[in-house]
Amino acid sequence: MQIRIRTSMIGAAFGFAIALISGGFAGIFAGLVAGLISGYVVPQAEPLTDKRRAVGQGMIAALVGSVMTILGIVLRNMGIDPIIGEPLNILAVGIAIIGATILCVLVCVVMCVVRTEPPARERIGMAIVVGIILVTYPWLDQFLNLRFMNEVIPVLVFLLMALGLNIVVGYAGLLDLGYAAFFAIGAYAAAMVSSPHFGLSLSFWLAIWVAAATAAIFGLILGSPTLPLRGDYLAIVTLGFGEIVPIAIKNLDKVSLSIWNYPLFVDVDLTGGTKGINPINRPWLPIIGEFSPSNPIPWYFLILGIMLISIFFISRLRNSRLGRAWTALREDELAAGAMGINTVNVKLLAFAIGATFSGLAGAFYGAYISAIFPESFRFDVSVMLLCMVILGGLGNMSGVILGGIIIQFADRLFLPQMSNVVQKLIVASGNESLRDINFASDFRLLLFGLTLVLMMVLRPQGLVPSNGAPRVLPVAAGEARHD
Amino acid sequence: MTNILETRGLTKRFGGLTAVDSVDFSVATGSITSLIGPNGAGKTTFFNTVTGLYTPTSGTIAFAGRSLVGLKPHEVTAAGIGRTFQNIRLFGNMTAVENVMVGMHSRMHANVLGILVHSARVQHEEATARAKAHALLDAVGLPAQRADDLSKNLPYGDQRRLEIARALATDPQLLLLDEPTAGMNPHETAELTQLIRRIRDERAITILLIEHDMKLVMEISESITVLDRGAKIAAGLPKDIRSNEQVIEAYLGRGAASMAHANARNTGEPT
Repeated sequence: MQIRIRTSMIGAAFGFAIALISGGFAGIFAGLVAGLISGYVVPQAEPLTDKRRAVGQGMIAALVGSVMTILGIVLRNMGIDPIIGEPLNILAVGIAIIGATILCVLVCVVMCVVRTEPPARERIGMAIVVGIILVTYPWLDQFLNLRFMNEVIPVLVFLLMALGLNIVVGYAGLLDLGYAAFFAIGAYAAAMVSSPHFGLSLSFWLAIWVAAATAAIFGLILGSPTLPLRGDYLAIVTLGFGEIVPIAIKNLDKVSLSIWNYPLFVDVDLTGGTKGINPINRPWLPIIGEFSPSNPIPWYFLILGIMLISIFFISRLRNSRLGRAWTALREDELAAGAMGINTVNVKLLAFAIGATFSGLAGAFYGAYISAIFPESFRFDVSVMLLCMVILGGLGNMSGVILGGIIIQFADRLFLPQMSNVVQKLIVASGNESLRDINFASDFRLLLFGLTLVLMMVLRPQGLVPSNGAPRVLPVAAGEARHD
Repeated sequence: MTNILETRGLTKRFGGLTAVDSVDFSVATGSITSLIGPNGAGKTTFFNTVTGLYTPTSGTIAFAGRSLVGLKPHEVTAAGIGRTFQNIRLFGNMTAVENVMVGMHSRMHANVLGILVHSARVQHEEATARAKAHALLDAVGLPAQRADDLSKNLPYGDQRRLEIARALATDPQLLLLDEPTAGMNPHETAELTQLIRRIRDERAITILLIEHDMKLVMEISESITVLDRGAKIAAGLPKDIRSNEQVIEAYLGRGAASMAHANARNTGEPT
């Protein structure tokens, strides 16, 4: 009983946070999220056996989730809104509270019941529940007036990259601190062939393959000097590459090449320098036509599709001869070699395949914002990706996705909204000296750092450890093994 | 009888230290051969040099008629030498079955494309490998219900067995076992002795053993080579090694030979 309430508090905390920060109808969405997480977490603490008990357990867990969500809605609407001068609409608050409770209970019970099924059917059931939410999300977003849609798309782009990074760091145990470089390379490769920059203007559907292939090739090129390195040394070298690539891109705007005084080309603008490349072609499909910047729905389904296909292929790789070789390499490189694994090839494949997904993400991102700049691929992107992978659990895809959603959600939705609320509270308080605090920008990196430190100290295996996941970062594991 | 493994003048130096000193060594095809010697004699370095972890400073290594010098560890494994480690080196966060399946890596052919499209060949290969892995676990006596446990959670004796299963999965002609009974109780040691014999008899795999348990060595070996301070000091049948003065001296120090000699005659043990 106690464990159940404690675990469902994870969901409850999410519901509370969303309702408190976004207010109004977002509370209904918060109830949905709280129910979803509670229903997923509860049976992990205490395996459910029969359906009737599962319904009961789900109700109790949902109760905790919805009470916290309602508390969030009430606090926001009755407490914060009047202070910052927003009008109070009792009817809307009432609807939000009832909607949040119903959704929370419903989803939580469904999840708990699904989890009493035998494993194969449980997987299908979970896929259906998650699938329904993913497919209906854009309309849910509109209906509840969440206005998350334009943020959800970049979140998915980052999740795709985190999945790619997870191959390198989580599966193969190669700590890569410069992974954003491949994002940049993919984005620029796609932009060069799919924009008026060189007059090529290929379709997006071709450019995305060019991006994936280019990123993979650069994965091999940047991976090869790191082959003899392990742990800390590998991290330092990849960190260097992560810094070199954006700087190189920034300076490749006047390239001249000559062989024995015969100029091949002079002052060619490869990357557009600091100005970047702009505009980039948007995808076009029959019926939908060209994807427009004002309608996020086609973009949402495009990146969702790319991500689902990626997850499908990554899980195939994971459960194959190659996936086992990666894990063996991570666990004990020397023994892996002695068991017949060509460690050089397997490492290079990890770099190349990991980079491919980053390349796909880069191509999509460039087309989505229709412009790219060297500034978009700085070191903090790599750090954030690493945070996403570590928070959820190294080497475990569902963990990485959960960790990624939390970090991205915090960064893109929670912080700006919170900043907004804090700002208004400060204004309402009339304290002039606090006016200059910008919560989002001032506390952003602090929160990342804090997350990393807390996770490493309290739960190094991540939020959702898989039974096959390494317990610690590869650096530490590598040190322990040097003998 | 032909020799499956033959080294001539094999030497490995680390700076000023000569860990293996021009060792001429041979293993007869189908035999169980032991490599013994006091601590620090260079036995494990010899193993590591043969299996490609170290490049020899000089000398030759011939395995089934081909030279192994300069080959990478995975190439040596592909050539047909499987090995275990003195301090167990399993892949701790992988299950027992997965550990064994890693051993089959060089005998499998799935490539990235085949894996992504999940071709019929890859599926078949995967299923065969899994079945074979279970069969190998059974053969080394690992309980079936342990097959899906993470290898780090297995009891010590089972970890040793699993290492042997993993080495067998590489489909070797020659199996190098580095102190397989270290830390085992007499009962477990006896079981392992049976297992080693069975591997040789049923699978026709030649066995080269590093071992400190003299009872096991004398009981199982058909030929014994003794290293001391990197150099070979004796080689021959167990009964010859038992009474070899140089060997006794290496183990017990100068002057002990004559004493131990008398002792050995009484008890049938070298010490």
